[in-house]
Amino acid sequence: MSTVLLQQGINGVVLGSLYVLVALGLTLIYGVLVQINFAHADVVTIGAFAAYFFTFTFGGNYLASIAVALLVGAILGWLVNAAIFAPLRERGSELLPLIATIGVSVLLQNVMLLWFGPIPYAFDSPYSNQVIRLWGGTFITGQNLIIIVVSTLTIALLYAFMKFTFMGKALRAVAQDRETAGLMGINPNHLIMLTFVIASALAGMGGAMLGPILVLTPFAGTTVIVKAFAIVIIGGFGNVEGTIIAGLLVGLIESYTTQFVNPGLIDIVVFTLLLMMLAFRPTGLIAEKREENV
Amino acid sequence: MSSRDHAELANPFDRSSVSRRWLLGAIVTIGLLPLVFQDSYWRTNLIVCALNVMLAIGLDFILGYAGQLNLGHSAFYGIGAYVSTLVITKLGLPFWVAFLCGIVLAGAAGMALSMFAVRLRGHYLAIASLGFAVIVHQVLVNWISLTQGPLGIYGIKPPPEIALPGLPVISFGNSANMFYLVAGFALLFYVLLDQLVRSPIGETLTAIREDEVSASSLGINCPAWKVFAFGAGSAVAGAAGAFYASSVGTLVPDAFIITESFTILAMVIVGGMGTLIGPVWGAILLTVLPEVLRGFGDLRLVLYGAALTLVVLFMPGGIVQAAQIVRAQFDRLRARLEAG
Amino acid sequence: MSDDISGRVAGQADGRRNSDKVLFRSKSLNKSFGGVHAVRDISLNIPHGGVFAIIGPNGAGKSTLLNLMSGLYQPDSGTMSLDGVDLVGLKAHRRVRLGLARTFQKIRLFKHLPVLDNVIAGFHIHHDIPAWQYVLQGTAFRRDYARCRDEARKLLSFVGLEERAKARAGSLAYGEQRMLELARALATSPRLLVVDEPAAGLNAAEVEKLLDRITQLRAGGMTVVIVEHNMDLVMKVADRVLVMDYGQYLFEGAPAEAQVDPGVVAAYLGA
Repeated sequence: MSTVLLQQGINGVVLGSLYVLVALGLTLIYGVLVQINFAHADVVTIGAFAAYFFTFTFGGNYLASIAVALLVGAILGWLVNAAIFAPLRERGSELLPLIATIGVSVLLQNVMLLWFGPIPYAFDSPYSNQVIRLWGGTFITGQNLIIIVVSTLTIALLYAFMKFTFMGKALRAVAQDRETAGLMGINPNHLIMLTFVIASALAGMGGAMLGPILVLTPFAGTTVIVKAFAIVIIGGFGNVEGTIIAGLLVGLIESYTTQFVNPGLIDIVVFTLLLMMLAFRPTGLIAEKREENV
Repeated sequence: MSSRDHAELANPFDRSSVSRRWLLGAIVTIGLLPLVFQDSYWRTNLIVCALNVMLAIGLDFILGYAGQLNLGHSAFYGIGAYVSTLVITKLGLPFWVAFLCGIVLAGAAGMALSMFAVRLRGHYLAIASLGFAVIVHQVLVNWISLTQGPLGIYGIKPPPEIALPGLPVISFGNSANMFYLVAGFALLFYVLLDQLVRSPIGETLTAIREDEVSASSLGINCPAWKVFAFGAGSAVAGAAGAFYASSVGTLVPDAFIITESFTILAMVIVGGMGTLIGPVWGAILLTVLPEVLRGFGDLRLVLYGAALTLVVLFMPGGIVQAAQIVRAQFDRLRARLEAG
Repeated sequence: MSDDISGRVAGQADGRRNSDKVLFRSKSLNKSFGGVHAVRDISLNIPHGGVFAIIGPNGAGKSTLLNLMSGLYQPDSGTMSLDGVDLVGLKAHRRVRLGLARTFQKIRLFKHLPVLDNVIAGFHIHHDIPAWQYVLQGTAFRRDYARCRDEARKLLSFVGLEERAKARAGSLAYGEQRMLELARALATSPRLLVVDEPAAGLNAAEVEKLLDRITQLRAGGMTVVIVEHNMDLVMKVADRVLVMDYGQYLFEGAPAEAQVDPGVVAAYLGA
């Protein structure tokens, strides 16, 4: 029994770290812009497809395809910001950008549907079938190991970047108070662009690693994004530490729910948890309250 | 929140005579449509169009007037559909009782969501409503003993015949009559909501949308009014759901996935959020256009996505704003011609 | 001053025009935010009628006190009452029904709505038609509608904005927006009007105009509370003053005495 518990724990951490990658992007964007980018999901999907085509159509190395997906994600992030958020920021509307990204998301998904079709692509990474035995009778596939290693490295790098480099601190400054940061000589628009690029790069990367695990259709991103939203809220919008913890938590919850309860109920469990959080602690597990200035 | 200008300040009682003309025009159009379109394919589309109009105006009441970003409208649609159907099949109650149940429960769900989210601002509410819609959909899929899950419920009967003395029996198996019923209700709901919007209630909701803190300082009980708006809008969605079930005849949970919420949102935005008549046009356009571009059936959602994005970016007031611009150009042209 | 304005005030204050009676009373109000103790142990008595000023340097806690009065914040401890009715725990919108209105330092108009509509929004609590009239809109509705529009126009002319009734509120000059805020607050027929930093951003002429209106309101029997940091301005119009600094009470009494009170002088002239 404990083997199963441990095994599912490992699976949960794998899932969780992927969710964290995707959710981090969302939370970074929210932290800096106070905006939700619905099209984030589709960056994940596009990242997955980019990795797929790089590996199978161009015969590239799978590990390299992760880098390719990262790049593709970065470019997409740049595009979305330049085309949608930057122009709409002038208008000062709170809800219009969100609605615009819903439009972009619907558009992207269905263009992909027309282009790639609804039939799932079999994205087998060369590491999917490698099995590595761990302690206590548990095992981990090569693919999952890569996921954990790459995710952890990336998240750690990002965390260090945010905390210790000037750029990172500038990002946090812009998140806290855009006007003042501007007065301090930081160009908020450049930083916002940087945030988008980083966030979408993470999403693309997440997609490349998710491809072999998930069912790869144009809607692959959506299955992840709704959980990513839950994670961002549970962890607290704009809160990096909270998102990491919440992501791992959700990964574990999903893994254990699949094993011990009904897999079909995962969404219900996660979302009920989400609604509970919103009811009792809308600012998330760790975040501080943002008082509205009258 | 909305960056479009408010409509004119003229005495709305002047507008009521215009409105009466429009009303007459709408009734006549509704009356003629099934005569123009005789084939069942187009008649089904007309019914879907009327349903979408109902959904769009309900959402606009919540989103465009009260300013609540509700991304879960599909849930109320689904609740109305399933509740009304199950009341008939499991409780054996007559259609119109079931219809009422669908409306009441959808409205109650809307109020519950709003009360739950009352302290949540903008984005949080959006996610909460999305989460709610996902949960409702998942419940419909997984509670197989109640809803038969993905297999769906088949053979749902249309509303019962109406036999009035001295008149021929009105049967709703006839798609023309079904259209008249649905469109009639859509018109009724439109008129009801329109009256509300032109009254101090509309002013109150607008104040809440523009600035809640300000509105509270004027004595407006913002939470209560938000719950009211949510309840009204979702009740209308529930009615649409009941009609959907009885006109289409089959009910599957996937008719109410969250993409449906986005579709309705697109209709509201493309038509012109916060104008009530705008969403009517938006619903008609986005229902009819993909059918006109037949052969590109899969393009329907691509169209919605593109329309939504482009409208938000370039014409946030939607069709209504575009019409105002065109009218202004015409007026300017006319003035110039008259000046010689 | 137009009869309607005074009538509006008189109607609310009937029987209680005795200017010795206290309209608003607070005892030992406290409010902290995180580590900042913004309002410390403030007790004040605002008499009926007259202009009461709450002044103090920036950061003294005046706005917090105002927000406590209007219900935007709830106090950590202490009591407040308006004409004997306990305010603690009462939500902001309910206080408006009791006759407490306020304006905002950072202008919070409905910028996309026309000027007239902004004022009409203030009549929310004064519609006295049954609910079904909102749908059927019969004679009672039309009468109420006409009445609202009339009264709104009168308020606009009181603040000198009658010409601009149809303009978008956001298109008004800053000084005009302040006056519109005043008109909107008056639409709720308050007994106690609290004005937050009314002179902020106004030039000398606009300030004069504003003070003139406030004087007129006082003449009509309304109780006006002004929160300000500019001492000279307040001296022109206030009957009584509460001076605050660092959230604490410094002085309460006549303006002339405040000017020479050593504690007050130190606060304003010292660091």
